[in-house]
Amino acid sequence: MKVFILLLTLLSFIFAENYTFLVQPYSKEVELEAKIIAEIATASLHSKIKLFIPQISEMEEKVYSKYFTLSPKCEDANFVFINKNIEEESLCDNASRLFFTNNYRKLLANDKYFGALFWNKSRPNIVFSKKRLEAKAIILPKTFEQFIEIF
Amino acid sequence: MKIIVLLGLLGSLLFSDSLDALLQEYKSTSDNSLRTVNEKMGHVMIYSQKEIRLMHYTKLNDILKELPLFNINTNQIGLTNYSLTGSKTTTSGFFRFFINDHEISSGYDQSTSLSWGDLPLDFVDHVEIYYGESSFSFGNETGIYFVRIYTKSALKENSSEINSWITSTGANSQSFTNSASFENGWSYLMFFNQEEVKKTTIHNGQKLNSNGIKHYMYVDVGNDTTKVNVGYTDVSKNNYTGLSFDAMPTSGESLSTDFFINYTHYFLDDKSLKANLSVDANNRSYDETNVQGIAIAPLITFSQFGPSGPNRYSEDLRFIKTNAYLSKSFDVENNSFITAINIKNKTYDVQNRESDTNSNIGRFSPFDEETISSLLLQDSYKLRDDLILVANTKLDYYDRNAYLKDNSETLLRVGAIYTPTENWGFKSFYTQTKLAPSFYNIDYTNKNTLKLKSQEYRFYTLEGVYTQGDSKFGITYDHVNIDDFIYLTPIGFINVDHTISTEGLIFDYEYSFTDRDKIHLNYFTSTLSESVTNSTKGGYIKYMGGYQKFDYFTSLIYRNGYDYLGLSIPDSFDMSLGIAYHFTKDLSCSIKANNIFDRSTKSLYFTNLGMNFFALDDNERSVTFSFRWVF
Repeated sequence: MKVFILLLTLLSFIFAENYTFLVQPYSKEVELEAKIIAEIATASLHSKIKLFIPQISEMEEKVYSKYFTLSPKCEDANFVFINKNIEEESLCDNASRLFFTNNYRKLLANDKYFGALFWNKSRPNIVFSKKRLEAKAIILPKTFEQFIEIF
Repeated sequence: MKIIVLLGLLGSLLFSDSLDALLQEYKSTSDNSLRTVNEKMGHVMIYSQKEIRLMHYTKLNDILKELPLFNINTNQIGLTNYSLTGSKTTTSGFFRFFINDHEISSGYDQSTSLSWGDLPLDFVDHVEIYYGESSFSFGNETGIYFVRIYTKSALKENSSEINSWITSTGANSQSFTNSASFENGWSYLMFFNQEEVKKTTIHNGQKLNSNGIKHYMYVDVGNDTTKVNVGYTDVSKNNYTGLSFDAMPTSGESLSTDFFINYTHYFLDDKSLKANLSVDANNRSYDETNVQGIAIAPLITFSQFGPSGPNRYSEDLRFIKTNAYLSKSFDVENNSFITAINIKNKTYDVQNRESDTNSNIGRFSPFDEETISSLLLQDSYKLRDDLILVANTKLDYYDRNAYLKDNSETLLRVGAIYTPTENWGFKSFYTQTKLAPSFYNIDYTNKNTLKLKSQEYRFYTLEGVYTQGDSKFGITYDHVNIDDFIYLTPIGFINVDHTISTEGLIFDYEYSFTDRDKIHLNYFTSTLSESVTNSTKGGYIKYMGGYQKFDYFTSLIYRNGYDYLGLSIPDSFDMSLGIAYHFTKDLSCSIKANNIFDRSTKSLYFTNLGMNFFALDDNERSVTFSFRWVF
């Protein structure tokens, strides 16, 4: 998976060109978000990833399906990425799946989430909770250490 | 070049963490600010967050003064004013400015100059400028140039920021921005700014100035489906040449306060139903004293000794704008439809208007209320994967009080976007739009013109773009015919009785050496069927780049000279050069030299109701020192 993402990134640079007109909906930011989530999910789970995104948009579905098997239901997924404001109660329990958020305050407040991809000072950031990683017995690669916070 | 970049990237990917590289690319992509572009709206120029930061643009005019087929001048009141190529207008009704969803032009004269002109960019993420749109997509008032200003996103900032600059002329600005997002999905961004304006010119041995002070406040609160924007600004400043017969007022001051609240809500899962409500309140005061008389068009009298006007004049006006908008977008097979309704009510109230001879002048015209109801429909049809046809129409119904008759106007636009290969793209539009007279136009109508009519613009445009690797080359052609152009003579507005036509050609080339280094060249030339009172040719060359903790940037903006009634206005070469140093990712400072050759553009002014003309520089030579701290 990691090699696949690396190759896709490389190819995108080889053919990097200015656009003429952006007639199709602009998906490059969603594309990069999907690549980052794919990196994180691949490093966190050793089984085949089934991703669930609540209230997934048409564009997200199109882009994320290039990197993941998407699950239409939370119950069938083993990785849940919550990137919208939804009713938490509507989600399935967290016993057998990993929850990731795009909201740092949500990560701090709710120990259901083991990490977050969020923006701060105009820069994207990734944070994992050390205690929650340990509780879920997730061992991340050494290169991820810079993203782990002690809480 | 590409091979070197590729090798560098390969190395970076092999020897560093790919997640870090992805985060960097995510930021870089976000800074390109392409998520809001709508190619169907016209010919677009984008000033991305990356470009705003690298070029150290601090105010909106830093961007606008580069635009092709566009001139920036200083008007009699000392305000920045925008004009179409070859002409100089006193107020600019045909440029529409938006902060996010909200249109910010004055309810009085449709101009942004007094309240929102030259906005600070410290809270702005990116700016899109559309040429050739006619407000079809927004249901708002009509125009030719649409400047869409997108503010920074609270979700991406989540921080506080202080920006400040000071120039060698003494002008200075301080900004504070604060934003946060919460667990429940809501977020806010607040922005406060104070700017001290210093602009002084010597004319006939007398100092003219438009010195003053401006305050801005902006608050954006929202979540996935709801957005509330609140804006406030106040400006108090001196009158520059003012409206005095001899263009040298004894004293005078302009004051303006503007407040708006804008509420947007998206319904349905796909957010395809959008409702928007807004209210604007604007108070403006003006006073001037001059022994030779003041040229207030409705108060000018003619006698055997020539024209005369009041020696002291003051007014205090209030304008309220209320707007409601509802749109629905939907797809049917290869068609993408947008349909919308918009209702706007504008009122104009004279709180006080007096002169030295009349303490209760009151209204110049009984026209003080207007309701515009609009219905619009747009279809973009995907004929083939590489060809999209766009057609839209808008019906405006004007309900006016007083002698102006109610009328309806139909606006239409058709166009095509053709992208036969990845390297080639073509775009063409034909637009027919009308610009109705404003309260200001009616107040200052020439007494011999009984009823001002709407101006009608008919124009077609063609754009071709070729990209290869990191290069992009574009040519845009336009042909514009204007009927009933509303023109300000020294004794009031008239409809010009013949068709005015203009043609223009824009060449644009940009090359990105790396993600951080870029060169951009632009040249335009145009013709105008009338005698020109402004530049008709121009261009710029700019370079922005960076090395380690340094950014460096330079630009040279050219506008051609012209002759007008014996005045010879020379070519303008406005060159700026600057360097910035980043102490950390969050703390930087920069120094920039402005108008290095002291060859600014000039604006024309007149005395004695157009008997004599003179020209003054729009910008001074100066040095700006600025700093930015994010925490």
